[in-house]
Amino acid sequence: MTLNPLTIKKIKRFKSIKRGYVSFIILCFMIFVSLFAEFFVNNRAAIVYYNGNLFFPTYGNMKSGTSFGLDYDYETDYRELSRRFKAEKNGNWILMPVVPFNAYENDLRNDAYPPFPPSLQDKHYLGTDIIGRDMVARLIYGFRIAILFSLVLLLVNYTIGISIGCAMGFFGGKFDLFFQRIIEVWSNVPFLYVVIIISSIVVPNFFMLILIMTFFGWIGMTWTMRTITYKEKAREYSLAAQALGASNFRIIFKHIIPNTVSIIVTFAPFSVSGGIVSLTSLDYLGFGLPPPTPSWGELLQQGWSNMDAYWIVGSVIVAMTVTLITVTFIGEAVREAFDPKLHTTFE
Amino acid sequence: MSEFLLELNNFKIHFPVYGGILWRRIGKIYAVDGVSFKIKPGETLGLVGESGCGKTTVGRGIIRLFRPTAGEVIFKGKNMSALPKKEIREIRRDMQMIFQDPFESLNSRHTIGYILEEPFLIHAIGTLKERRAKVKDLLERVGMQEQVLTQFPHEFSGGQRQRIGIARAIALNPELVICDEPVSALDVSIQSQILNLLLELQEEMNLTYLFIAHDLAVVKHISDRIAVMYLGKIVEYANADTIYEHPLHPYTRALISSIPIPDPLAKREREVLVGDVPSPRHPPPGCRFHTRCPIAIDRCRHEAPLLGPLPGETDDSHTVACHRAGE
Repeated sequence: MTLNPLTIKKIKRFKSIKRGYVSFIILCFMIFVSLFAEFFVNNRAAIVYYNGNLFFPTYGNMKSGTSFGLDYDYETDYRELSRRFKAEKNGNWILMPVVPFNAYENDLRNDAYPPFPPSLQDKHYLGTDIIGRDMVARLIYGFRIAILFSLVLLLVNYTIGISIGCAMGFFGGKFDLFFQRIIEVWSNVPFLYVVIIISSIVVPNFFMLILIMTFFGWIGMTWTMRTITYKEKAREYSLAAQALGASNFRIIFKHIIPNTVSIIVTFAPFSVSGGIVSLTSLDYLGFGLPPPTPSWGELLQQGWSNMDAYWIVGSVIVAMTVTLITVTFIGEAVREAFDPKLHTTFE
Repeated sequence: MSEFLLELNNFKIHFPVYGGILWRRIGKIYAVDGVSFKIKPGETLGLVGESGCGKTTVGRGIIRLFRPTAGEVIFKGKNMSALPKKEIREIRRDMQMIFQDPFESLNSRHTIGYILEEPFLIHAIGTLKERRAKVKDLLERVGMQEQVLTQFPHEFSGGQRQRIGIARAIALNPELVICDEPVSALDVSIQSQILNLLLELQEEMNLTYLFIAHDLAVVKHISDRIAVMYLGKIVEYANADTIYEHPLHPYTRALISSIPIPDPLAKREREVLVGDVPSPRHPPPGCRFHTRCPIAIDRCRHEAPLLGPLPGETDDSHTVACHRAGE
């Protein structure tokens, strides 16, 4: 596929907007790290060298303690094993992740109650939450869920919103009128109450939450798409396609939608940040993903009620701010780069 | 089959106007209000008139981009309004359109190669290789190089784009090409090139043109017959030479006198029309031109003149819709 030179120009322009481009790289890096978080933040070792064999326990089934010469059948405690190998000094070694905890385990002590403050020695670089789970692990896994959530939400919302909006604009008439009224009624349903009611009946999981959010989220895109489609449909290139005998399907997908991509792309980053914020706030209120799923909203809630454990609330707020700012900067730069009029300058 | 390729009988397109709190239909725009003409195969009919008089709407109505409100379009002996949708799609292959604005009529997201290949894709003609060969042939016909295939529309000038638009229109070997002001968006120097290209193609492929324009000089150059439109109706219809030499309708006379003469010393009489075109939503009663007509009489305000030959004549090659024509 040859990229349209106009698109290449837009990408170049995006790259030239340093703030947005740097944010883009940072966000990509964050997503990458979070996707492979098991290597960096985990209680399983990355590599185990035991009696001449290499093991990679990160992915796959758990390895019981007996496979490393321990006397128990449950999952190996690699932190313990690491200390043991060091003491034995018989050539076996373990490469532990940077943060040797996962997001679900409680690292408790005999002499104190959590939350524990940040400590390099314990490898809790940002401390623990109120039940002794590592903050870094909670943050990174929470980020993974939040960003995946908002990306999936974006995809579903936009698919529905674009199809319906496009159809409204393209077919017009009664169809358009009918859906306009439906949407007006729909958008007046109070979202939060519906979520509260639903989560009081069933415990929502990831996909159900997506479903609930899509239920109300698709509306935003329809208005925009409807308007653009009305405009693009009346332009001569789409009339030309019509005169050639092209089917509606071809006109919509080959002619109209490609011409609206730049507008859709402009909206996407802001929808992503919106998705993150709404998931976090739902979790904060306790109507989001059920515990013990790692989530920023839940951490925020913990931090709020334990203000003396400054590291909880502090790290969540910093993480959220950084994420939202990068996403917003990206959105700003995309909008600037795809601006069809180029009236504004960006220095 | 009749001797005419295209026949329009009392062709009407009205657009509804909606308004009010309940968004009801509160009126109509009489964009095209009873137009009839016939085109023989291989002929060019020029359709002229000032902007807003419904020329473009006629063209788009024939090719079914707009749905006609009433009247008949008989193309190749078949009444289009009676045909099912599927057959209309088939007939569209024989009927194509060249658009006014070459910057708008090519999709900026597709390469020239794709734009020209699309007609074949739509009608599932040929294999990939055959299609490519046809596209190259098309480019050659409109006088363009082969390397433009991978380029995008914005890389070309208006004239080149219009050539591409023409190539797309002739891709399916149509019989009728509706040229909707194909040169009015172009430079004067380019206009003649494009017109000559159209004439060459007409000869080569035996095309029939419905040539829509507001520029009489352009129309004169290319047309066999000319129809002058005013506010949704044809006011005069004749052979190209006749209409220039013996215009009968006052509107036609005003139009012709407005053609610039490229000679600063030439003496000329100009008939300048006063006032604006009335709104097609509330067309004036009687003759639609009476509000601006220099020779209007009382009868014109009440009684709409019919398009027909001068009183006493039987030759219907020159028809006019005016009560006072020939006086």
